[in-house]
Amino acid sequence: MGKTKSEILQGTLDLMVLKTLHAMGPLHGYGMARRIEQISEEVLELNQGTIYASLVRLLQKGWITAAWGTSENNRKARFYSITARGLRQLREQTENWERIAGVIGRVLQL
Amino acid sequence: MWERLRTWGSRVWCWARMRRLDQDFAEELESHTTMLIEENLHRGMTPEEARRQALLRLGGTARLRESYREQRGLPRLDQVAQDLRYATRMFRKSPGFTLFAGAALALGIAATTAVFSIANAVLLRPLPYRDPSRLVMVWQDDTPYGFPRNNGSPWAFQQWKQSNHVFDDMAALTHDSLNLTGHGNPEYLHTDTVTPNFFSVLGVNAAVGRTFTADDGRPGAPLALVMGYGLWVRRFGADPQLIGQDLLLNGAKYTVVGVMPRGFQFLDPAVDLWVPAQWTPEFIESRKTDHFLTMVARMRSGISVPLASAEMAVLGKQLATGDVSDLTAVVVPLREQLAGDTKPALLVLLGAVAFVLLIACANLANLLLARGSARQREMAVRLALGASRKRIVQQMLAESLLLACVAGVVGLGLAARVTRFLGGMIPPGMAVDGQPGVNGTLLAFTAAVSIATGVLFGILPAMRSSQVELVGSLKQGGGKAGVGAGGQRLRHVLVVSEVALAMVLLAGAALMIRSFEKLYRQDPGFRAEHVLTLQTSLPRPKYQDMARRSEFYREVLQRVESLPRVISAGYTTYLPLADEGGGSVVTVENHPQDPDHMLVANVRVVSTDYFRAIGMTLRQGRLLDRKDGPDSPKVAVINESMARTYWQAENPVGQRFRRGLLQSKTPWVTVVGIVGDMRQGGMNVPVRPEAYFPFEQADFFAPDSLAVRTAGDPTVLTEEVRQQIWAVDKEEPVAAVMPLQQMVEDSVSPARLQASLLGGFAAMALLLASLGIYAVLSFAVTQRTQEIGVRLALGARPADVLRMVVAHGLRLFLLGLAIGVAAALALSRLLAHLLFGVSAGDPLSYVSVTLLLAAVTLLACYVPARRAMRLEPMAALRYE
Repeated sequence: MGKTKSEILQGTLDLMVLKTLHAMGPLHGYGMARRIEQISEEVLELNQGTIYASLVRLLQKGWITAAWGTSENNRKARFYSITARGLRQLREQTENWERIAGVIGRVLQL
Repeated sequence: MWERLRTWGSRVWCWARMRRLDQDFAEELESHTTMLIEENLHRGMTPEEARRQALLRLGGTARLRESYREQRGLPRLDQVAQDLRYATRMFRKSPGFTLFAGAALALGIAATTAVFSIANAVLLRPLPYRDPSRLVMVWQDDTPYGFPRNNGSPWAFQQWKQSNHVFDDMAALTHDSLNLTGHGNPEYLHTDTVTPNFFSVLGVNAAVGRTFTADDGRPGAPLALVMGYGLWVRRFGADPQLIGQDLLLNGAKYTVVGVMPRGFQFLDPAVDLWVPAQWTPEFIESRKTDHFLTMVARMRSGISVPLASAEMAVLGKQLATGDVSDLTAVVVPLREQLAGDTKPALLVLLGAVAFVLLIACANLANLLLARGSARQREMAVRLALGASRKRIVQQMLAESLLLACVAGVVGLGLAARVTRFLGGMIPPGMAVDGQPGVNGTLLAFTAAVSIATGVLFGILPAMRSSQVELVGSLKQGGGKAGVGAGGQRLRHVLVVSEVALAMVLLAGAALMIRSFEKLYRQDPGFRAEHVLTLQTSLPRPKYQDMARRSEFYREVLQRVESLPRVISAGYTTYLPLADEGGGSVVTVENHPQDPDHMLVANVRVVSTDYFRAIGMTLRQGRLLDRKDGPDSPKVAVINESMARTYWQAENPVGQRFRRGLLQSKTPWVTVVGIVGDMRQGGMNVPVRPEAYFPFEQADFFAPDSLAVRTAGDPTVLTEEVRQQIWAVDKEEPVAAVMPLQQMVEDSVSPARLQASLLGGFAAMALLLASLGIYAVLSFAVTQRTQEIGVRLALGARPADVLRMVVAHGLRLFLLGLAIGVAAALALSRLLAHLLFGVSAGDPLSYVSVTLLLAAVTLLACYVPARRAMRLEPMAALRYE
């Protein structure tokens, strides 16, 4: 794989997971990892396992919930979905992110 | 904040369900992997390649699971749990070591806990009175008469109570007895006659009814009594209706006004009831020099003991009048009074158990060090694989802490069993809240001791084993990885300190045991075997008349002496070992009086056969006999101390003295005989001058103690003697029936207990220290197997090897011994006033324990040395 890979900023994975769940509805770990990779157009290549650390963190904070269900291929899988508190967090963090990204962008254009 | 809380809540919850969740996560990963594999298969990979790529993209499931678990649960606790699991496994693998180490520790902790529980009860736990730190005893300072803490007279009590500015209130009591009649068998009741404010000074209320009011102490007021809980239950079935009823005591009617709470006592646990003192001004005036009151006071808040003492000293000078020269009072904190000699004894024992525990710790540290070097390779591998040193230390500490905590639990259980045996250390006069069993303080103490122990013996080996030299250890073969000189030195230091500590303990124990021997084997001045003693106190109104009293004594003695197997019987006012006092000022005829050194002799009123019954020896002159009746010349027998101190070189026989001062109106009494000194207050209380008067000539004290010398076991005669007394007076209670030997045993029992405890601790120390030497030497022999093989191969004789190993052990022993003897000499001064007839530096004690320690050490050296000597050179050289 000769593509340049980007490191994920600490904490940003959580935000991406929340956004993915918000956009796609309930998903299992594999689906989420695939989705993030696809959207990032394969620039971000996840070590897919790292997503689980993020999922535990979010579960512990009560921003997402998890339940066992059946996948599209009729497999047992654990599906995650965003909670109301998670939505609120997503909104706040998105605004926050955009503000900071804007600032950093302006600084970098100096 | 909420997120934080939720996160930690979830962590704890997840940690608790670890196993299930682990499984869940494994399944989740499994399903994830399957999906990845499917994706890869779609891309046209071979199944094996698909799986390999899938696992690569997921990123190492084992590591993933570990980090997931860390994030999910409690990371520290997880590690701790893992360490503990690992430790348990290690212990299971070496049960011998575990059992020895655990047992040594458990014994050490049990001993420490047991002694502490007693110390806690005696020295720390608040006494069961209100605001007990403000309670003090007040004694009259009669040092010139040999009584630095004398009882006070009613007059002195009144003066002090009225004039002082340091006490809220002051109460007085005197011990008495009353005979209860009219309810079944007559009963001798221990009674305290108290000033009505007694209970309010102590700050304790009645459990039922009330305590005394000032009115109860008014002369002529109806007689009231407050009953002890024990008597109330024992004799009256805890009947609440008893309040307000009348009891017949010494033939007079007393109304029961209250019952004290269970366990209430003051100074004397035997007291059954309290009656108020009803003193008239005339009575107080007439008792200026009669010292029979025990006084207790409550200090004003903010007043300290030294301040109170200073005030009472000044007051003493001011109050002195013509016939009472000095009224200085001594103020003693109540706890100090009650703890008495027990405090130094307990501190010594606490020190001793701490030593035993330290030796056990040193021993375990040693064993762990030895094991540590055997496990050096394991540690090296773990360090090489990326474990941090901190992590290794943590794991080693987990092992020692686990061991210590298990030992702590076992030790606590053991302690709970032996505490009852140790209960004899609690002075009987000390009221303790509940039993000295397991309580919160004790649990906390044991937990603290266990943890401290675990850290103490675990930390050094743990630090050492984390300092493995990686490359060297991994390269060297097997478990015989070289121990650095540092490790060896550390082990030597530990063994030397074990020997030193054991020496200190042994020396202390030897001194205490020798002291006890001396105490027990001394000639007390009487022969206690085969003597039965009991009390019959003759109630005053009925036996006020001297003739009637004499009649009672004569008849009882005659009846008892005519019993088969009775050799002789005699009455006295005080049995031996019962009371060191009971003294009176005496004046010797034709001797000048020195007002600063008044002569005070103990006064005993006895029947003629008392000397024979008790087994005293006549030194000179004659004993009392039947001719010394009420109308014949007044005579007395004195003891050797009195003869020696009052007449010095003169022969006292035929000389005269009188009770009281020169101007007193008491009759002159002629000394007719001298008897050997007899212990009066206790086996270790110095003998005072003592004079014996025949009861027919001395109406001032009424004998109440009967001693019966029998042929054989005295206790079998109890019932017959009792029947004989009841045949004379069926209302006369017979109390305190016991063999005289029992009084001797009771008198020495604290010394016996202290000596045996210290001896036991010293034995433990000896055992542990010798095991320590043994362990170090045998480890050294194992370490040096190859070297010894080379020596043997090069022609060293087995005797040389033996000498080498023994010398190694002896060097350690001698160093430890030197330190130990020096420390013991320094510390034994603390023992000095617990000793009787033995000096703190007693050479015999030191020499004998040195020899004992040397013998045991030699044995401990010999066993590994013999093994070294018998090594087969070729086998030793090949030894890996």
